[in-house]
Amino acid sequence: MNFRWRRAAAVARKEWFHIRRDPFTLTLALALPLAMVIIYGVAIDFNIKNVSLAVSDFDATESSRRLVDTFASSDYFRVRRADSPGQALQDVVAEKARAALVIPPRFEKDLGAGRGASAQVLLDGADNSTVGPVSLYVQTIQTLANARIAGANPVAPYDLRTRFLFNPELNSRWFVIPGLIVVIMAILSIFLTALTVAREWENGSMELLLSTPIQPIEIIAGKAAPYAGLGILAVAFVYVIARTAFGVPFEGNLLVFALGCLLFLATYLAQGLLISVVTRQQTVAMQLSMLTGMLPSNLLSGFVFPIASMPRFFWYFTMLLPARWFMVIARRSFLEGSTLAQLGVPLAALGVSCAVMVSLAARRFRRSLE
Amino acid sequence: MINRTMAGFIKKEMIQALRDPRMKFILFVAPLVQMTIFGVAISNEVKNIRLAALFDSKDYVLRDVYERAIQGEWFVPARASRAMAADPFELVRSGQADAVLVGPPGGFTRALGRGDAPLELLVDATNVTQAQSVEGYMRTIVQRVVQTDLHLPAGGAPIQFDIRVLFNPSLDTSIFMVPGVMTMLMVLTTLVLTNIAIVREKELGTFEMLISAPVSRTEVILGKTVPYVVIGMTNLPLVLSVAVFVFHVPMRGSVLALIVATFAFVCTTVAMGTLISTYCRNQQQASMGGFLFMFPAIMFSGLIFPIENMPASVRWMSAIDPLAHYLSLLRNIMLKGGDVRTLASHTTALVILAAVSGAISFKRFHTTLT
Repeated sequence: MNFRWRRAAAVARKEWFHIRRDPFTLTLALALPLAMVIIYGVAIDFNIKNVSLAVSDFDATESSRRLVDTFASSDYFRVRRADSPGQALQDVVAEKARAALVIPPRFEKDLGAGRGASAQVLLDGADNSTVGPVSLYVQTIQTLANARIAGANPVAPYDLRTRFLFNPELNSRWFVIPGLIVVIMAILSIFLTALTVAREWENGSMELLLSTPIQPIEIIAGKAAPYAGLGILAVAFVYVIARTAFGVPFEGNLLVFALGCLLFLATYLAQGLLISVVTRQQTVAMQLSMLTGMLPSNLLSGFVFPIASMPRFFWYFTMLLPARWFMVIARRSFLEGSTLAQLGVPLAALGVSCAVMVSLAARRFRRSLE
Repeated sequence: MINRTMAGFIKKEMIQALRDPRMKFILFVAPLVQMTIFGVAISNEVKNIRLAALFDSKDYVLRDVYERAIQGEWFVPARASRAMAADPFELVRSGQADAVLVGPPGGFTRALGRGDAPLELLVDATNVTQAQSVEGYMRTIVQRVVQTDLHLPAGGAPIQFDIRVLFNPSLDTSIFMVPGVMTMLMVLTTLVLTNIAIVREKELGTFEMLISAPVSRTEVILGKTVPYVVIGMTNLPLVLSVAVFVFHVPMRGSVLALIVATFAFVCTTVAMGTLISTYCRNQQQASMGGFLFMFPAIMFSGLIFPIENMPASVRWMSAIDPLAHYLSLLRNIMLKGGDVRTLASHTTALVILAAVSGAISFKRFHTTLT
């Protein structure tokens, strides 16, 4: 059982020919990251603006008009009139408004009498992406309205100053794009390997390789190498776009980040191989890659949905996902400038999962060949 | 309309799709498992923020602020080592805390007595939405604690908003997320499978055999696609019962409307799967093509990122995204009880999308040799 580079290289060459012959794969491997970064970079903005607000003003006085004005003149809301509270509610049900403001008839009287006036704000609870931020905006507007209309400007004896570290301008792209690297790598590596190798099983050409003196480990290395190359190319590509087109800073150590990339890539390539060995059929391999690769790396890695908010069980469960650890490495390398020592835990975890996955894939591969 | 030839086709396709026990698992069990996992795990709530506060033993107001924060469910104590405590910035950068409260020199309590107390809050703003929520929460907590501790008059601001969240008053995340996960799983089983099944016949060359058989193009197309519409529809009761019985997502609207909407959606995704298949020559291309569709489709669906927030230049993508329409339909029917005009417009959009992609794929579909 001695590893011969020449034999592995021959397999890699064959695989490379195959990729080159199939322009579709090559284009996709390069166009997919580009398209994803551009779409995400341009389209995604977590800072919600122009929330449409259905307003039903029963009071119709100077004060109530100024209250509506306070909403309208903020960047957050776009006001649309409703004739009655029922109409305002109907606007929310019919998706014409995300929120409704109902001002009761005694608003100005209550305010003048010093009893305290209240207005009702209804938020559309069917859409999770807006309800949280919008309720924060409403609080801000409340403070503003009190100062402008009621002249209430309580001087607080303290002053809370918030420093937003690592992303002072609260640019959501800085959050999304480093995470996107993780998702893109996961998808490319797992899909391409799982499907190509599953095809060899399906065609029976894997059996052919059996009759040659080549070792299983040489086949694995040879098959994975071109896809590893494509994966690295894709990351480099995304890195350059992130830095130049979107101005995402990179504060950390490039070598540490590269180490994380390699470990992550190796893990997912191995997972792709494992899927192909287990399924030996492209249709099933495809579905399994989606289920074990794409969805978890998208939804459970902390890419958008924070891991800290998950129930305890999942907080531990996600520790099994290499994507979770690489997500930490990518984000903190880009934005926080973490050092090798500070990234020790995620790197070690990534190393372990890489070792486990590679040896698992190699074992299954060898066994199925013998 | 369905003659014997087609019936035979449909039967063959059904057998082929369901022959493999692993495929049965993927089609019927995996969606349920996935839905349970994602329904439980993911949310964009802000929870378990690791908070540290730097104060000495005499600074009781700041201690109260810290303790009050920890008692709520937003914050948990950070594991702050004393050596690090000197530098709050390092505390965040090393990943030990997500937010740090720092009082002025001499203590917050004493500074409050002077009536001019700066209180600094350092937040890790890598995740923009989370950072903004943390600031909002902290502002509320500080205000309450200072009010109680200094025995300030509790008289609130003259204008109060009474905020209510409609349709999901307890802000239960699974009620938000489950319809989205349903949408994703439905598309995975329909679009991807149709696409692969058609391309596989092309790859294996069995399509060429059909030339010699007395069947028309329509019969081939319908024979290949109808089974996947059926499979997609059988998924509905499965995922719907998980949604309603496991996650207690309300079902306020009409079941009939939901079935019609789902049928329109499944027809659209199957038609789009067929369309994609006409561009692909082998299964690897098919799966990458399917993926190329899925990724932007999920993104523009409004599940993760609010659609209203996207720049107008890309918002039209949502209009042609079947996932966006189906997600709106699911949310509107299940959570809001269904608004007739909204349902009609989204269902019509789905029907148009199905018709257009069906027509194009019918035109591009070859059963002849080139």
